Amino acid sequence: MPRTNNKWTRVYIGGYDLSGNARQIGPLALTYDEADMTTLADEVKCVLPAHAQVSLGTLNAVLDNSTSGIHTVLSSPGQMQCVMVAIGMAAEPAQGNPVFVGEFEQSGYNSEQSGGVYVSAPFESSSVRGNVVEYENPFGVLLRPKTATTATNNATGVDDYGAATSFGGYMTYQVFAGNGTATIKVQHASTNTDASFADLSGCTTGVINCSTPSAGCIATTLRTTTVNRYIRWQIVFGTATSVTFALGFHRALR
Amino acid sequence: MAAQTGRTTQKWVSFYVKDSGGTLRNIPVDSINGVGLTYDEVELTAFTDAIKGVLPAHPDCTITITGPFDTTALTGSHTVLSGIVGGTTPLSLDVRVGIRHDWESGEPQFGITSSATNGFLCTEYQVDVNAGKYSAKFRLAPGSAAPAWGTTAET
Repeated sequence: MPRTNNKWTRVYIGGYDLSGNARQIGPLALTYDEADMTTLADEVKCVLPAHAQVSLGTLNAVLDNSTSGIHTVLSSPGQMQCVMVAIGMAAEPAQGNPVFVGEFEQSGYNSEQSGGVYVSAPFESSSVRGNVVEYENPFGVLLRPKTATTATNNATGVDDYGAATSFGGYMTYQVFAGNGTATIKVQHASTNTDASFADLSGCTTGVINCSTPSAGCIATTLRTTTVNRYIRWQIVFGTATSVTFALGFHRALR
Repeated sequence: MAAQTGRTTQKWVSFYVKDSGGTLRNIPVDSINGVGLTYDEVELTAFTDAIKGVLPAHPDCTITITGPFDTTALTGSHTVLSGIVGGTTPLSLDVRVGIRHDWESGEPQFGITSSATNGFLCTEYQVDVNAGKYSAKFRLAPGSAAPAWGTTAET
């Protein structure tokens, strides 16, 4: 199904799945400053896109103070948060669905009462503290929906663009739970067969402790790294035997 | 069916824009605004003039669209717009107004065929996941010719 509604949107922040608290989020915006380039001799007014502004908008939710609830996760604003919005297409988010990710400054956390008790958390601006400030496009593809994973990936990957590119990109991960250490990474291939996939340079978490919720954005080694046509998730287990995580990839197109 | 004349409805209006690969795509929309040129009006009235007077200066064209968030391969709104937003390669854009049927050559259209210097740039793309919709904005590239009304499809 190529169209969808908000029932299938999932919100992950810092390794916590807040979809059970969230009621509304957005708009998910990529807006460029427009530098006016019009000269006297031009036939019509014209612009060039300058800096990009990436905004997540505001997260509205019900107040929930359970261990993994929004009050526990977001009640101390003024911090950078790695946020992933997985957009399921009329179904639970699946591999290949769109994903919007960024490292945003949470500028507030406010409560209001209107029958129920609700909270809002604005994420209007990207953070300069982020790892991927050299990449502007927050729209990517979901390689691994939130899933408990107990085996490495031998499946085929996602054709997110239809061709290889040479401008790098970045992976975004949310680790929700696990029972030890593991390495999560992105692999790419020119042909969509298991044997063809190899690690994408730079796009790895390294060994992390998956027992604690975590999230992040990790760019390819270079801004000019070639990303082959097909991409997929991969995991290397350390001491862990089960890790619940979600993974996205953002291919830079220029 | 031959090109028709007369009145029509939005049911027969379609929006085409080039994707990042340079292919013109018909993407789903539910509103299109800013179709046409609007000129700056430079006020040149003198004290002794009986009435106020202006001269038109540069025209402007800012087209905004909204529609359903759609991931259809090749022609989905998200498929096309997420690849062109922020780009500096001029894009063909064509708003076709079919007259009580699918647009045919000879019926009104507004747009421009891109070249190295002529065409539109996509400067904004927003997704409202709460409504399942998107919005996008298009401005003209530096040095571009003006888009115009015509009756022949842009390419």
